[in-house]
Amino acid sequence: MNSPSLLSTINPATEPDKLDSVERAEIDASTRGPVLLFFGTAIFWLLMGSLLGLISAWKITNPGLFDSISWLTFGRLRPAHLNLVAYGWAVPAAIGVGLWLTARLCRVPLLHAKLLISSAIVWNLGILVGLSGILIGDGRSIEWLEFPAYATPILFIAYACISVWTIIMFRFRKSGHIYVSQWYLFAAFLWFPWLYATANILLVWQPVQGPAQGAINWWYAHNVLGLWFTPIGLAAAYYFIPKVIGRPIHSYYLSILGFWSLALFYSWNGMHHLIGGPFPAWMVSASVVASVMMFIPVITTAINHHMTMKGHFEALNWSPTLRFIVFGAVSYTVVSLQGTSMAIPALNSITHFTDYTIGHAHLGLYAFFTMIMFGSMYYIVPRLVGGEWPCANLIRWHFWLSAVGIILMVGALTLGGLLQGLALYDVASTFRSSIEFATPFRVLRGISGFILMGGQLVFAYLFVQMLLKPGSQKKSPAHFDKSDNSSNDSVAI
Amino acid sequence: MTAGIILLVFGFVILSGSALLAICWAAKSGQFSNITEGAASIFDQDEPVGVPTDRFPVKNSQ
Repeated sequence: MNSPSLLSTINPATEPDKLDSVERAEIDASTRGPVLLFFGTAIFWLLMGSLLGLISAWKITNPGLFDSISWLTFGRLRPAHLNLVAYGWAVPAAIGVGLWLTARLCRVPLLHAKLLISSAIVWNLGILVGLSGILIGDGRSIEWLEFPAYATPILFIAYACISVWTIIMFRFRKSGHIYVSQWYLFAAFLWFPWLYATANILLVWQPVQGPAQGAINWWYAHNVLGLWFTPIGLAAAYYFIPKVIGRPIHSYYLSILGFWSLALFYSWNGMHHLIGGPFPAWMVSASVVASVMMFIPVITTAINHHMTMKGHFEALNWSPTLRFIVFGAVSYTVVSLQGTSMAIPALNSITHFTDYTIGHAHLGLYAFFTMIMFGSMYYIVPRLVGGEWPCANLIRWHFWLSAVGIILMVGALTLGGLLQGLALYDVASTFRSSIEFATPFRVLRGISGFILMGGQLVFAYLFVQMLLKPGSQKKSPAHFDKSDNSSNDSVAI
Repeated sequence: MTAGIILLVFGFVILSGSALLAICWAAKSGQFSNITEGAASIFDQDEPVGVPTDRFPVKNSQ
């Protein structure tokens, strides 16, 4: 603490622990505007994106649904769903969590709030333009980059402001040590605009030709998961798990190793999407090797999170944040190991072009990333609005609807995808039978979508309540119940 | 096309170069030298090790 905080200015003899508390409250309060704006818009787009996903899911089993309305055809709905949940929900949620974590870890009040608020407005404008573009039929046939060319510069400009801000915050940080979460955050905030700009330049403005298009496309689409969503999710897990249970991370050394090995291996992974395609074999092989190398960062992270939690699993009963984040962290291990296995050509030849891949995508973006974002928001929002969440039972509903919904969805798609893949692989079987195998599982996926949507509506309600009428105010500014862990409702799950 | 490739290669060099510089800087400035202290850097005097910081809201605590 080099500069005097508010409290020490008034009374320099104040106890040091109060100083910490007030300093942290000042930092949290400084992030309020931009972080709540990013969270609020993210939750709005999550609901919209899920609705589009739900309609897409039902259209798969009922192809005639809404077929007279051009903007509700499957070819537009499905990319609209993907882009809304990825760029409308996941990116702003990640930015919101990232801003708050950056300010806390740098130990400086958030600088240039107006820049961030403008960035949030411009970003959401870009999402609106992009979504309208896809729905009126201007979408591009590049997976993960379906937004039309006129929407992408808006998004890039909005994001570039965030990157510049990260560098400024890093430059003005007061913490001497760079905590592992800060490495992940700083890297992710700089990687994403690079990926986004490169992919757009090489696929849209100066399109490369032939197989290079596929290479750039999957290099981008896979890295946006691995070098943007994953680091933000892990940064949150590495901060919140130790912070919530009050125990330093089990092996700090492993966490650092995990970061640098992720940085080294991940960017090679994308080409495993092109296994079996008309594509230089050496590039696919290099990618398969890199995918297997991902064992290192994944296992180090899994061991670390598990060992930190060991002996503290009862905390899942009383901490909403931890419950979501541990669910997400476990899913991270599962989805990463599954991803590695899917890069092995023997398995890939069965699962490729089936629902198995869709299940994998939802396991990554929902069970891992989205759950971690929910958990982080449960920790962050009370500290911004200065009051508790209004209802513990609704949080439990949100958790169980999300957990059951996503397990059902991933289970149905994985099993259905395997049966579909085996039927496709079997020369004696017709294509039609592969669809018939998958159909009951697709109906189940549609049902799971409703369950997930129910959880999201509960969360949206809680969030709006927090903005309008937060629950009980706490006496100390940045503190929530440090003395009372043995609560009377801790038995309820 | 050519401009794109040049930009891509340029991007690769800049990015991997900066990652290399970052790890060298981190090692030189002692980021990896005191691991135990680093792990505890997210705790404060008022939120020390051993104190949980999150829980479900308690009913009727107005």
